[in-house]
Amino acid sequence: MEMYWNWLVVTYLFLGGLGAGAYLTSFAAEMGWLGQKSGLKKMGYFIGGPIVGLGTALLVFDLGQGFHKPWLLWRLITNMSSVMTWGTIVLAVFIMVGVLKGYLAFINKPAPRAVTWFGALLATATGAYTGFLVSVIDAIPFWSSNIIPVIFFVSALSTGLSITVLLSHIIEKTESENSREDAVHLGLILAELAAVAVFMGLMVSGANGVVAQKSAALLISGKYAIVFWGIFIGVGLLFPLAVYALRLRTANRTENMTLAAGEMAMTEEEPPKHSYLTIITDAAVLVGGYSLRMMIIFAALPIWDGIKIP
Amino acid sequence: MSKSEKLSISRRRVLQMGAVFAGALAVGVAPGQLAEADSNTPKNPNQLGFLHDQQKCIGCRKCSTACKATNKWEEGAKWRRVIASGRPEVFLSISCNHCEKPVCASVCPVKAYKKRDKDGIVIHDKDICVGCKYCLYACPYHAPQYSEDTGRISKCHFCYERQDKGLLPACVEVCPTGALTFGRLADLQKTEGALAQAQWLPAPEITKPSLVVIPK
Repeated sequence: MEMYWNWLVVTYLFLGGLGAGAYLTSFAAEMGWLGQKSGLKKMGYFIGGPIVGLGTALLVFDLGQGFHKPWLLWRLITNMSSVMTWGTIVLAVFIMVGVLKGYLAFINKPAPRAVTWFGALLATATGAYTGFLVSVIDAIPFWSSNIIPVIFFVSALSTGLSITVLLSHIIEKTESENSREDAVHLGLILAELAAVAVFMGLMVSGANGVVAQKSAALLISGKYAIVFWGIFIGVGLLFPLAVYALRLRTANRTENMTLAAGEMAMTEEEPPKHSYLTIITDAAVLVGGYSLRMMIIFAALPIWDGIKIP
Repeated sequence: MSKSEKLSISRRRVLQMGAVFAGALAVGVAPGQLAEADSNTPKNPNQLGFLHDQQKCIGCRKCSTACKATNKWEEGAKWRRVIASGRPEVFLSISCNHCEKPVCASVCPVKAYKKRDKDGIVIHDKDICVGCKYCLYACPYHAPQYSEDTGRISKCHFCYERQDKGLLPACVEVCPTGALTFGRLADLQKTEGALAQAQWLPAPEITKPSLVVIPK
Protein backbone atom coordinates (compact mmCIF):
# COMPACT_ATOMS: atom_id res chain seq x y z
CA MET A 1 0.00 0.00 0.00
CA GLU A 2 0.99 3.57 -0.45
CA MET A 3 2.01 5.57 2.57
CA TYR A 4 1.24 9.18 2.01
CA TRP A 5 2.48 10.32 5.41
CA ASN A 6 6.04 9.47 6.30
CA TRP A 7 8.51 9.81 9.15
CA LEU A 8 8.08 13.56 9.26
CA VAL A 9 4.43 13.20 10.22
CA VAL A 10 5.23 10.41 12.69
CA THR A 11 7.85 12.66 14.31
CA TYR A 12 5.46 15.60 14.30
CA LEU A 13 2.73 13.62 16.05
CA PHE A 14 5.28 12.34 18.56
CA LEU A 15 6.73 15.79 19.28
CA GLY A 16 3.25 17.30 19.55
CA GLY A 17 2.41 14.85 22.31
CA LEU A 18 5.86 15.13 23.89
CA GLY A 19 5.81 18.92 24.21
CA ALA A 20 2.25 18.93 25.49
CA GLY A 21 3.11 16.22 28.00
CA ALA A 22 6.22 18.08 29.16
CA TYR A 23 4.19 21.22 29.83
CA LEU A 24 1.58 19.22 31.71
CA THR A 25 4.31 17.52 33.75
CA SER A 26 5.61 20.82 35.07
CA PHE A 27 2.04 22.01 35.48
CA ALA A 28 1.28 18.97 37.60
CA ALA A 29 4.50 19.53 39.57
CA GLU A 30 3.62 23.19 40.13
CA MET A 31 0.17 22.19 41.37
CA GLY A 32 1.83 19.82 43.82
CA TRP A 33 0.36 16.72 42.22
CA LEU A 34 3.80 15.16 41.84
CA GLY A 35 4.71 15.46 45.50
CA GLN A 36 5.93 18.43 47.51
CA LYS A 37 9.59 18.06 46.60
CA SER A 38 9.24 17.58 42.87
CA GLY A 39 12.19 18.85 40.87
CA LEU A 40 10.10 18.99 37.71
CA LYS A 41 8.44 22.34 38.26
CA LYS A 42 10.30 24.15 35.49
CA MET A 43 11.95 21.94 32.89
CA GLY A 44 8.66 20.96 31.26
CA TYR A 45 7.75 24.61 30.84
CA PHE A 46 11.13 25.35 29.26
CA ILE A 47 10.79 22.65 26.63
CA GLY A 48 7.01 22.30 26.07
CA GLY A 49 6.48 25.16 23.60
CA PRO A 50 9.81 24.69 21.76
CA ILE A 51 9.26 20.95 21.26
CA VAL A 52 5.82 21.50 19.76
CA GLY A 53 7.32 24.33 17.69
CA LEU A 54 9.99 21.97 16.38
CA GLY A 55 7.35 19.39 15.48
CA THR A 56 5.27 21.99 13.65
CA ALA A 57 8.34 23.13 11.73
CA LEU A 58 8.94 19.54 10.65
CA LEU A 59 5.39 19.36 9.37
CA VAL A 60 6.10 22.24 7.03
CA PHE A 61 8.75 20.03 5.39
CA ASP A 62 6.07 17.44 4.72
CA LEU A 63 3.67 19.87 3.09
CA GLY A 64 4.03 19.77 -0.67
CA GLN A 65 3.90 23.55 -0.73
CA GLY A 66 5.94 24.13 2.45
CA PHE A 67 8.79 25.72 0.53
CA HIS A 68 7.11 26.11 -2.85
CA LYS A 69 4.46 28.60 -1.89
CA PRO A 70 4.72 29.05 1.89
CA TRP A 71 2.38 32.04 1.74
CA LEU A 72 -0.45 29.59 1.21
CA LEU A 73 0.02 28.24 4.72
CA TRP A 74 -1.98 30.98 6.43
CA ARG A 75 -5.03 29.30 4.97
CA LEU A 76 -4.43 26.34 7.25
CA ILE A 77 -6.68 28.06 9.76
CA THR A 78 -9.61 28.64 7.42
CA ASN A 79 -11.70 25.46 7.47
CA MET A 80 -13.33 25.19 10.86
CA SER A 81 -14.80 21.79 9.96
CA SER A 82 -11.30 20.33 9.58
CA VAL A 83 -9.58 18.80 12.59
CA MET A 84 -6.31 19.91 11.01
CA THR A 85 -7.44 23.54 11.12
CA TRP A 86 -8.30 23.21 14.80
CA GLY A 87 -4.95 21.56 15.39
CA THR A 88 -3.09 24.33 13.63
CA ILE A 89 -4.81 26.95 15.79
CA VAL A 90 -4.32 25.00 19.01
CA LEU A 91 -0.66 24.30 18.26
CA ALA A 92 0.10 27.87 17.26
CA VAL A 93 -1.48 29.31 20.41
CA PHE A 94 0.07 26.62 22.60
CA ILE A 95 3.55 27.36 21.23
CA MET A 96 3.12 31.04 22.10
CA VAL A 97 1.65 30.48 25.56
CA GLY A 98 4.12 27.67 26.24
CA VAL A 99 7.11 29.81 25.33
CA LEU A 100 5.76 32.70 27.42
CA LYS A 101 5.25 30.46 30.44
CA GLY A 102 8.69 28.92 29.88
CA TYR A 103 10.30 32.35 29.74
CA LEU A 104 8.58 33.48 32.92
CA ALA A 105 9.70 30.28 34.65
CA PHE A 106 13.24 30.87 33.36
CA ILE A 107 13.50 34.38 34.79
CA ASN A 108 11.79 33.18 37.98
CA LYS A 109 8.78 35.41 37.60
CA PRO A 110 5.42 34.02 38.60
CA ALA A 111 3.13 33.70 35.62
CA PRO A 112 -0.46 34.91 35.95
CA ARG A 113 -2.65 31.98 36.92
CA ALA A 114 -4.67 32.46 33.73
CA VAL A 115 -1.57 31.95 31.57
CA THR A 116 -0.53 28.78 33.41
CA TRP A 117 -3.99 27.26 33.22
CA PHE A 118 -4.63 28.35 29.63
CA GLY A 119 -1.33 26.71 28.72
CA ALA A 120 -2.42 23.50 30.44
CA LEU A 121 -5.73 23.56 28.60
CA LEU A 122 -3.97 24.08 25.26
CA ALA A 123 -1.45 21.34 26.08
CA THR A 124 -4.32 18.95 26.76
CA ALA A 125 -5.91 19.92 23.46
CA THR A 126 -2.59 19.49 21.65
CA GLY A 127 -2.03 16.03 23.08
CA ALA A 128 -5.54 14.90 22.18
CA TYR A 129 -5.48 16.59 18.76
CA THR A 130 -2.72 14.35 17.47
CA GLY A 131 -5.12 11.45 18.05
CA PHE A 132 -8.26 13.13 16.71
CA LEU A 133 -6.41 13.99 13.52
CA VAL A 134 -6.47 10.33 12.58
CA SER A 135 -9.51 9.08 14.49
CA VAL A 136 -11.96 11.13 12.38
CA ILE A 137 -10.89 9.38 9.17
CA ASP A 138 -13.58 6.79 8.46
CA ALA A 139 -11.87 5.56 5.29
CA ILE A 140 -9.04 4.14 7.43
CA PRO A 141 -10.81 1.62 9.68
CA PHE A 142 -7.75 1.18 11.90
CA TRP A 143 -7.82 4.89 12.72
CA SER A 144 -11.55 5.30 13.04
CA SER A 145 -11.74 4.81 16.80
CA ASN A 146 -12.13 7.24 19.67
CA ILE A 147 -9.69 5.18 21.69
CA ILE A 148 -6.79 6.51 19.62
CA PRO A 149 -6.97 10.03 21.11
CA VAL A 150 -7.05 8.43 24.56
CA ILE A 151 -3.96 6.31 23.82
CA PHE A 152 -2.13 9.24 22.26
CA PHE A 153 -2.99 11.52 25.15
CA VAL A 154 -1.87 9.07 27.83
CA SER A 155 1.29 8.41 25.83
CA ALA A 156 1.80 12.18 25.57
CA LEU A 157 1.65 12.48 29.37
CA SER A 158 3.98 9.52 29.81
CA THR A 159 6.60 10.62 27.27
CA GLY A 160 6.30 14.22 28.52
CA LEU A 161 7.00 13.10 32.06
CA SER A 162 9.98 11.08 30.85
CA ILE A 163 11.60 13.85 28.82
CA THR A 164 11.13 16.25 31.73
CA VAL A 165 12.70 13.82 34.21
CA LEU A 166 15.47 13.05 31.75
CA LEU A 167 16.41 16.66 31.08
CA SER A 168 15.99 17.70 34.70
CA HIS A 169 18.39 14.92 35.50
CA ILE A 170 21.01 15.72 32.90
CA ILE A 171 20.85 19.49 32.75
CA GLU A 172 19.60 20.57 36.15
CA LYS A 173 21.14 17.60 37.94
CA THR A 174 18.19 17.36 40.24
CA GLU A 175 18.16 14.18 42.22
CA SER A 176 14.65 14.51 43.45
CA GLU A 177 13.06 11.51 41.91
CA ASN A 178 10.38 11.09 44.40
CA SER A 179 8.25 8.04 44.58
CA ARG A 180 5.19 10.13 43.79
CA GLU A 181 6.53 10.63 40.24
CA ASP A 182 7.15 6.91 39.94
CA ALA A 183 3.63 6.19 41.13
CA VAL A 184 2.13 8.62 38.61
CA HIS A 185 4.19 7.17 35.79
CA LEU A 186 3.24 3.66 36.82
CA GLY A 187 -0.41 4.68 36.64
CA LEU A 188 0.06 6.23 33.20
CA ILE A 189 1.71 3.11 31.84
CA LEU A 190 -1.00 0.87 33.27
CA ALA A 191 -3.63 3.15 31.70
CA GLU A 192 -1.83 3.06 28.35
CA LEU A 193 -1.57 -0.73 28.46
CA ALA A 194 -5.27 -1.01 29.24
CA ALA A 195 -6.25 1.40 26.45
CA VAL A 196 -4.02 -0.37 23.94
CA ALA A 197 -5.47 -3.74 24.98
CA VAL A 198 -9.03 -2.48 24.46
CA PHE A 199 -8.09 -0.85 21.14
CA MET A 200 -6.30 -3.89 19.75
CA GLY A 201 -9.03 -6.16 21.06
CA LEU A 202 -11.66 -4.17 19.21
CA MET A 203 -9.62 -4.09 16.00
CA VAL A 204 -8.89 -7.82 16.13
CA SER A 205 -12.52 -8.64 16.94
CA GLY A 206 -13.63 -7.21 13.63
CA ALA A 207 -15.77 -4.49 15.21
CA ASN A 208 -14.21 -2.05 12.74
CA GLY A 209 -14.30 -4.45 9.81
CA VAL A 210 -11.94 -6.76 7.96
CA VAL A 211 -9.51 -4.05 6.92
CA ALA A 212 -8.98 -3.00 10.55
CA GLN A 213 -8.31 -6.65 11.36
CA LYS A 214 -5.64 -6.69 8.66
CA SER A 215 -4.07 -3.54 10.08
CA ALA A 216 -4.07 -5.05 13.57
CA ALA A 217 -2.51 -8.22 12.18
CA LEU A 218 0.37 -6.14 10.79
CA LEU A 219 1.16 -5.22 14.39
CA ILE A 220 0.43 -8.51 16.08
CA SER A 221 1.99 -10.93 13.64
CA GLY A 222 2.90 -9.00 10.52
CA LYS A 223 5.71 -6.74 9.47
CA TYR A 224 5.43 -4.50 12.54
CA ALA A 225 5.34 -7.38 15.04
CA ILE A 226 8.88 -6.73 16.27
CA VAL A 227 8.13 -3.05 16.71
CA PHE A 228 4.83 -3.79 18.44
CA TRP A 229 5.83 -6.56 20.83
CA GLY A 230 9.52 -5.80 21.20
CA ILE A 231 9.78 -2.04 21.16
CA PHE A 232 6.34 -0.70 22.01
CA ILE A 233 5.09 -3.29 24.51
CA GLY A 234 8.41 -4.67 25.77
CA VAL A 235 10.83 -1.76 25.82
CA GLY A 236 8.30 1.05 25.96
CA LEU A 237 5.73 -0.24 28.44
CA LEU A 238 6.64 -3.43 30.32
CA PHE A 239 10.26 -2.52 31.08
CA PRO A 240 9.40 0.91 32.57
CA LEU A 241 6.44 -0.69 34.32
CA ALA A 242 8.78 -3.14 36.04
CA VAL A 243 11.31 -0.44 36.97
CA TYR A 244 8.69 1.89 38.46
CA ALA A 245 6.97 -0.94 40.30
CA LEU A 246 10.22 -2.24 41.79
CA ARG A 247 11.40 1.23 42.73
CA LEU A 248 8.10 2.00 44.40
CA ARG A 249 8.37 -1.17 46.42
CA THR A 250 11.89 -0.32 47.52
CA ALA A 251 10.84 3.22 48.34
CA ASN A 252 7.95 1.97 50.44
CA ARG A 253 10.25 -0.32 52.33
CA THR A 254 12.79 2.43 52.93
CA GLU A 255 10.04 4.72 54.07
CA ASN A 256 8.83 2.15 56.56
CA MET A 257 12.36 1.65 57.80
CA THR A 258 12.93 5.37 58.11
CA LEU A 259 9.73 5.70 60.04
CA ALA A 260 10.86 2.94 62.32
CA ALA A 261 14.32 4.46 62.73
CA GLY A 262 12.76 7.74 63.70
CA GLU A 263 13.48 11.33 62.86
CA MET A 264 17.25 10.86 62.65
CA ALA A 265 17.16 8.89 59.44
CA MET A 266 14.94 11.49 57.73
CA THR A 267 17.83 13.91 57.37
CA GLU A 268 19.99 11.31 55.67
CA GLU A 269 19.63 11.79 51.93
CA GLU A 270 19.60 8.66 49.86
CA PRO A 271 22.45 8.67 47.33
CA PRO A 272 21.28 9.05 43.69
CA LYS A 273 21.96 5.47 42.72
CA HIS A 274 19.08 5.37 40.26
CA SER A 275 20.66 7.78 37.84
CA TYR A 276 21.55 5.45 34.99
CA LEU A 277 18.49 3.35 35.43
CA THR A 278 16.38 6.51 35.26
CA ILE A 279 18.03 7.62 32.04
CA ILE A 280 17.56 4.22 30.43
CA THR A 281 13.97 3.87 31.61
CA ASP A 282 12.90 7.30 30.46
CA ALA A 283 14.66 6.82 27.13
CA ALA A 284 12.75 3.54 26.77
CA VAL A 285 9.46 5.37 27.36
CA LEU A 286 10.35 7.86 24.63
CA VAL A 287 11.29 5.13 22.15
CA GLY A 288 8.02 3.35 22.92
CA GLY A 289 6.01 6.53 22.40
CA TYR A 290 7.67 7.14 19.06
CA SER A 291 7.06 3.58 17.90
CA LEU A 292 3.36 3.93 18.79
CA ARG A 293 2.89 6.86 16.35
CA MET A 294 4.92 5.08 13.73
CA MET A 295 2.79 1.92 13.87
CA ILE A 296 -0.53 3.76 13.86
CA ILE A 297 0.46 5.84 10.82
CA PHE A 298 2.20 3.07 8.87
CA ALA A 299 -0.39 0.34 9.50
CA ALA A 300 -3.19 2.49 8.07
CA LEU A 301 -4.85 0.37 5.41
CA PRO A 302 -7.57 2.05 3.34
CA ILE A 303 -11.12 0.68 3.51
CA TRP A 304 -10.74 0.00 -0.23
CA ASP A 305 -7.37 -0.15 -1.94
CA GLY A 306 -8.67 1.44 -5.14
CA ILE A 307 -7.00 -1.29 -7.19
CA LYS A 308 -9.11 -4.40 -6.75
CA ILE A 309 -12.71 -5.18 -7.64
CA PRO A 310 -14.26 -8.63 -7.60
CA MET B 1 -49.73 17.36 50.44
CA SER B 2 -46.52 16.86 52.34
CA LYS B 3 -43.20 18.06 51.14
CA SER B 4 -41.87 14.60 50.53
CA GLU B 5 -44.96 13.71 48.51
CA LYS B 6 -44.44 16.77 46.37
CA LEU B 7 -40.88 15.77 45.89
CA SER B 8 -41.75 12.24 44.90
CA ILE B 9 -44.33 13.49 42.45
CA SER B 10 -41.91 15.88 40.89
CA ARG B 11 -39.41 13.09 40.68
CA ARG B 12 -42.00 10.98 38.93
CA ARG B 13 -42.64 13.92 36.60
CA VAL B 14 -38.97 14.00 35.80
CA LEU B 15 -38.99 10.29 35.03
CA GLN B 16 -42.08 10.68 32.89
CA MET B 17 -40.52 13.53 31.00
CA GLY B 18 -37.42 11.48 30.57
CA ALA B 19 -39.45 8.59 29.19
CA VAL B 20 -41.34 10.92 26.84
CA PHE B 21 -38.05 12.39 25.71
CA ALA B 22 -36.48 8.98 25.16
CA GLY B 23 -39.58 7.88 23.30
CA ALA B 24 -39.55 10.98 21.14
CA LEU B 25 -35.90 10.38 20.44
CA ALA B 26 -36.55 6.80 19.42
CA VAL B 27 -39.48 7.82 17.26
CA GLY B 28 -37.54 10.69 15.80
CA VAL B 29 -34.47 8.64 15.05
CA ALA B 30 -36.14 5.57 13.62
CA PRO B 31 -37.99 7.17 10.68
CA GLY B 32 -34.86 9.15 9.87
CA GLN B 33 -32.88 5.94 9.64
CA LEU B 34 -35.62 4.20 7.70
CA ALA B 35 -35.82 7.07 5.25
CA GLU B 36 -32.09 6.90 4.73
CA ALA B 37 -32.02 3.17 4.30
CA ASP B 38 -35.12 3.33 2.15
CA SER B 39 -33.62 5.36 -0.66
CA ASN B 40 -30.40 6.99 -1.69
CA THR B 41 -32.33 9.93 -2.99
CA PRO B 42 -29.89 12.79 -3.32
CA LYS B 43 -30.54 15.82 -1.13
CA ASN B 44 -29.79 18.09 -4.06
CA PRO B 45 -32.19 17.11 -6.89
CA ASN B 46 -29.72 18.50 -9.42
CA GLN B 47 -26.79 16.47 -8.11
CA LEU B 48 -24.88 15.09 -11.08
CA GLY B 49 -23.37 11.64 -11.04
CA PHE B 50 -21.61 9.06 -13.18
CA LEU B 51 -23.16 5.80 -14.34
CA HIS B 52 -20.81 2.97 -15.21
CA ASP B 53 -22.36 0.02 -16.98
CA GLN B 54 -19.99 -2.89 -16.48
CA GLN B 55 -21.99 -4.94 -18.99
CA LYS B 56 -21.11 -2.49 -21.75
CA CYS B 57 -17.54 -1.64 -20.72
CA ILE B 58 -14.88 -3.26 -22.89
CA GLY B 59 -11.92 -1.91 -20.93
CA CYS B 60 -10.53 0.20 -23.78
CA ARG B 61 -9.45 2.94 -21.37
CA LYS B 62 -10.43 5.69 -23.78
CA CYS B 63 -12.13 7.48 -20.88
CA SER B 64 -8.96 7.80 -18.83
CA THR B 65 -6.87 8.69 -21.86
CA ALA B 66 -9.31 11.42 -22.86
CA CYS B 67 -9.41 12.69 -19.29
CA LYS B 68 -5.62 12.85 -19.17
CA ALA B 69 -5.43 14.73 -22.47
CA THR B 70 -8.23 17.14 -21.66
CA ASN B 71 -7.31 17.91 -18.09
CA LYS B 72 -3.52 17.69 -18.45
CA TRP B 73 -2.87 15.44 -15.45
CA GLU B 74 0.05 16.41 -13.32
CA GLU B 75 2.79 13.78 -13.10
CA GLY B 76 1.52 10.85 -11.02
CA ALA B 77 -2.06 12.12 -10.66
CA LYS B 78 -4.65 9.82 -12.23
CA TRP B 79 -8.03 11.48 -12.26
CA ARG B 80 -9.84 8.53 -13.81
CA ARG B 81 -8.83 4.91 -13.50
CA VAL B 82 -10.10 1.81 -15.27
CA ILE B 83 -9.75 -1.13 -12.91
CA ALA B 84 -9.71 -4.69 -14.22
CA SER B 85 -11.28 -7.31 -11.99
CA GLY B 86 -10.17 -10.89 -11.44
CA ARG B 87 -12.84 -12.02 -13.90
CA PRO B 88 -12.24 -11.66 -17.63
CA GLU B 89 -13.76 -8.62 -19.31
CA VAL B 90 -15.07 -7.04 -16.14
CA PHE B 91 -13.92 -3.49 -15.53
CA LEU B 92 -14.74 -0.46 -13.45
CA SER B 93 -14.12 3.08 -14.61
CA ILE B 94 -13.93 5.34 -11.59
CA SER B 95 -12.95 8.91 -10.80
CA CYS B 96 -14.26 11.37 -8.24
CA ASN B 97 -17.80 10.54 -7.14
CA HIS B 98 -18.72 14.12 -6.28
CA CYS B 99 -20.16 12.89 -3.02
CA GLU B 100 -23.07 14.34 -1.12
CA LYS B 101 -20.83 14.32 1.97
CA PRO B 102 -17.44 15.14 0.48
CA VAL B 103 -15.06 14.20 3.29
CA CYS B 104 -12.18 15.64 1.27
CA ALA B 105 -13.79 19.04 1.72
CA SER B 106 -14.46 18.57 5.41
CA VAL B 107 -10.90 17.48 6.26
CA CYS B 108 -9.10 19.96 3.98
CA PRO B 109 -7.59 22.57 6.31
CA VAL B 110 -7.31 25.23 3.59
CA LYS B 111 -10.77 24.88 2.02
CA ALA B 112 -9.35 23.88 -1.34
CA TYR B 113 -12.49 21.83 -2.07
CA LYS B 114 -15.82 23.38 -2.92
CA LYS B 115 -19.08 21.65 -3.71
CA ARG B 116 -21.14 23.59 -6.23
CA ASP B 117 -24.75 24.23 -5.19
CA LYS B 118 -25.88 24.16 -8.79
CA ASP B 119 -25.01 20.53 -9.59
CA GLY B 120 -23.09 19.17 -6.62
CA ILE B 121 -19.78 18.99 -8.49
CA VAL B 122 -16.84 18.94 -6.07
CA ILE B 123 -14.06 21.16 -7.38
CA HIS B 124 -10.55 21.23 -5.98
CA ASP B 125 -8.54 24.40 -6.32
CA LYS B 126 -5.00 23.23 -6.76
CA ASP B 127 -3.67 26.76 -6.54
CA ILE B 128 -4.46 26.99 -2.83
CA CYS B 129 -3.74 23.35 -1.92
CA VAL B 130 -0.82 23.15 0.53
CA GLY B 131 -0.17 19.45 -0.11
CA CYS B 132 -0.87 18.13 3.40
CA LYS B 133 -2.23 14.86 1.94
CA TYR B 134 -4.98 14.58 4.58
CA CYS B 135 -7.61 14.10 1.87
CA LEU B 136 -5.68 11.13 0.44
CA TYR B 137 -6.52 9.28 3.65
CA ALA B 138 -10.04 10.64 3.98
CA CYS B 139 -11.40 9.75 0.52
CA PRO B 140 -12.48 6.08 0.35
CA TYR B 141 -12.28 6.15 -3.48
CA HIS B 142 -8.75 7.53 -3.94
CA ALA B 143 -10.12 10.37 -6.03
CA PRO B 144 -7.70 13.04 -4.81
CA GLN B 145 -4.33 12.39 -6.39
CA TYR B 146 -1.01 13.74 -5.21
CA SER B 147 1.75 14.72 -7.56
CA GLU B 148 5.27 14.59 -6.14
CA ASP B 149 6.19 16.73 -9.07
CA THR B 150 4.09 19.72 -8.12
CA GLY B 151 3.59 18.91 -4.42
CA ARG B 152 -0.14 19.28 -4.58
CA ILE B 153 -3.42 17.46 -5.05
CA SER B 154 -5.61 17.51 -8.12
CA LYS B 155 -8.68 15.51 -9.04
CA CYS B 156 -11.63 15.05 -11.41
CA HIS B 157 -13.84 18.11 -11.57
CA PHE B 158 -16.46 16.55 -13.83
CA CYS B 159 -15.18 18.77 -16.67
CA TYR B 160 -17.29 21.53 -15.11
CA GLU B 161 -15.91 24.13 -17.49
CA ARG B 162 -16.91 22.01 -20.49
CA GLN B 163 -20.30 21.34 -18.92
CA ASP B 164 -20.83 25.04 -18.30
CA LYS B 165 -20.26 25.52 -22.02
CA GLY B 166 -22.77 22.78 -22.83
CA LEU B 167 -20.16 20.12 -23.68
CA LEU B 168 -20.02 16.59 -22.29
CA PRO B 169 -17.40 15.47 -19.79
CA ALA B 170 -14.40 14.29 -21.86
CA CYS B 171 -14.58 10.71 -20.54
CA VAL B 172 -18.27 10.33 -21.36
CA GLU B 173 -17.83 11.91 -24.78
CA VAL B 174 -15.27 9.35 -25.97
CA CYS B 175 -16.77 6.18 -24.48
CA PRO B 176 -17.42 4.03 -27.60
CA THR B 177 -19.98 1.69 -26.03
CA GLY B 178 -21.96 4.06 -23.87
CA ALA B 179 -20.73 2.28 -20.77
CA LEU B 180 -19.84 5.54 -19.08
CA THR B 181 -22.59 8.08 -18.93
CA PHE B 182 -23.61 10.85 -16.61
CA GLY B 183 -26.70 12.72 -15.57
CA ARG B 184 -28.80 13.73 -12.65
CA LEU B 185 -28.10 11.18 -9.93
CA ALA B 186 -31.80 10.79 -9.13
CA ASP B 187 -32.43 9.75 -12.75
CA LEU B 188 -29.38 7.47 -12.96
CA GLN B 189 -30.57 5.61 -9.89
CA LYS B 190 -33.78 4.67 -11.73
CA THR B 191 -31.83 2.95 -14.52
CA GLU B 192 -32.71 -0.70 -15.05
CA GLY B 193 -30.28 -2.99 -13.23
CA ALA B 194 -28.46 -0.14 -11.54
CA LEU B 195 -27.02 -0.44 -8.07
CA ALA B 196 -27.00 2.75 -6.07
CA GLN B 197 -23.85 1.30 -4.63
CA ALA B 198 -21.86 -1.72 -5.67
CA GLN B 199 -21.48 -3.75 -2.48
CA TRP B 200 -17.78 -4.28 -3.02
CA LEU B 201 -17.07 -0.57 -2.95
CA PRO B 202 -16.62 1.22 0.40
CA ALA B 203 -19.79 1.66 2.47
CA PRO B 204 -21.77 4.51 0.85
CA GLU B 205 -22.65 6.00 4.25
CA ILE B 206 -19.12 7.36 4.59
CA THR B 207 -19.49 9.93 1.80
CA LYS B 208 -22.73 9.27 -0.14
CA PRO B 209 -21.07 8.99 -3.55
CA SER B 210 -22.80 10.04 -6.77
CA LEU B 211 -21.87 6.89 -8.63
CA VAL B 212 -24.22 4.30 -10.05
CA VAL B 213 -22.93 0.94 -11.27
CA ILE B 214 -24.65 -1.66 -13.42
CA PRO B 215 -22.79 -4.81 -12.39
CA LYS B 216 -21.79 -7.67 -14.64
